[in-house]
Amino acid sequence: MNKTPSATSKEIRLGVETAEWELIRKCQKGDVAAYEELAAKYYRRVFMVILGMVHHRDDAMDVAQETFYRAFKNIRRFQGGSNFYTWVYRIAVNLAIDFQRRQKRSIVDLKENMDEVVVDAETSGGDPLREVQDRRLGEKLLGAINELTPDHKAVIVMRAVEGLSYKEIGRIMGCSEGTIMSRLHYARKKLKEKLGTDL
Amino acid sequence: MRNCEAIKKSLGAWLDGELDPGPAAEIQLHVEGCASCLEEKARIERLDSSLKRLLEANASQVDFKTFWAGLRQRIADEKSWHTRVLEKIRPVFSPRRVAWAVPAMAVVLVAVLSLDQFFPGWRGNGQTNMASVESIDGHGFNVALLREAKTKTTVIWLFENQESEDETSAESASSDTAF
Repeated sequence: MNKTPSATSKEIRLGVETAEWELIRKCQKGDVAAYEELAAKYYRRVFMVILGMVHHRDDAMDVAQETFYRAFKNIRRFQGGSNFYTWVYRIAVNLAIDFQRRQKRSIVDLKENMDEVVVDAETSGGDPLREVQDRRLGEKLLGAINELTPDHKAVIVMRAVEGLSYKEIGRIMGCSEGTIMSRLHYARKKLKEKLGTDL
Repeated sequence: MRNCEAIKKSLGAWLDGELDPGPAAEIQLHVEGCASCLEEKARIERLDSSLKRLLEANASQVDFKTFWAGLRQRIADEKSWHTRVLEKIRPVFSPRRVAWAVPAMAVVLVAVLSLDQFFPGWRGNGQTNMASVESIDGHGFNVALLREAKTKTTVIWLFENQESEDETSAESASSDTAF
């Protein structure tokens, strides 16, 4: 008997969630190997969100490790009421916001640190003009994001990079979908203004 | 029909798929026929993709082994709650501090206990819950009163002074011998 595409995808999704829940249950009993699997699945996504907020790679690494450390310490409290990544993101975003409030790095440090990233990120395909444009856009983008408030940074990074819905972002940030929509609109508007014709 | 300014305010939410079908269809129709809004849509898409590319490129350089090694170490270093409490308490009870603290505590304790002797009634209205015994002269009888403040109980004893009688008899006996 043929299954409809939607039914198949739902079953797969359910299977993934069940497998993940099994891992979580093992972690709740102190199984570090199971936690390694969970961390391997999400560390890069969490790192990206944090990096978008703190900008410095070493700082992002520290905050990401702290995020997963705290998640492991408190995993017994996770009852499965939300997705595991939503729960981890909430820890990550709160830590990143706290970190930003405590420590302010200069924009010069950020540019130096991210220069190589801009080069790595280029999709110019060997086109020197495009490469220069990408580098300039990357630098300006970093500078522009850095001028946003931690809340606005968190919202734009989670949406643009992770593609999370307003509902999910709202759950992570502890505010309504309307607030997320408004913050996102403001953040995009500010970034477009800063980037001007480079965008 | 909304104008370009109103449409541009909702473009982001529309691109994110967060609008209801009605407004979403209206915006789609507008954007298809408006060069300015089409350009604005492209700018938002470029902004999101540039940001994503930038962060993805950096995240791809992060090696899981390095990340996990640091995290694993932190988890391994995690101490039990009683170890952490002991570690906090231990410096307080260092031999050097205890050497001073013990005599100091003894002096404080003695001072507190002797307060009643130097300042009777310092605890409040002068009444204590302890019973007190007083002796009074009762016209040839010895009278002792036991007063207990809390229950306001008074017990009165009348007794003969055995000691003084013994002393008198001893004195008379010795005087007899002297004479």
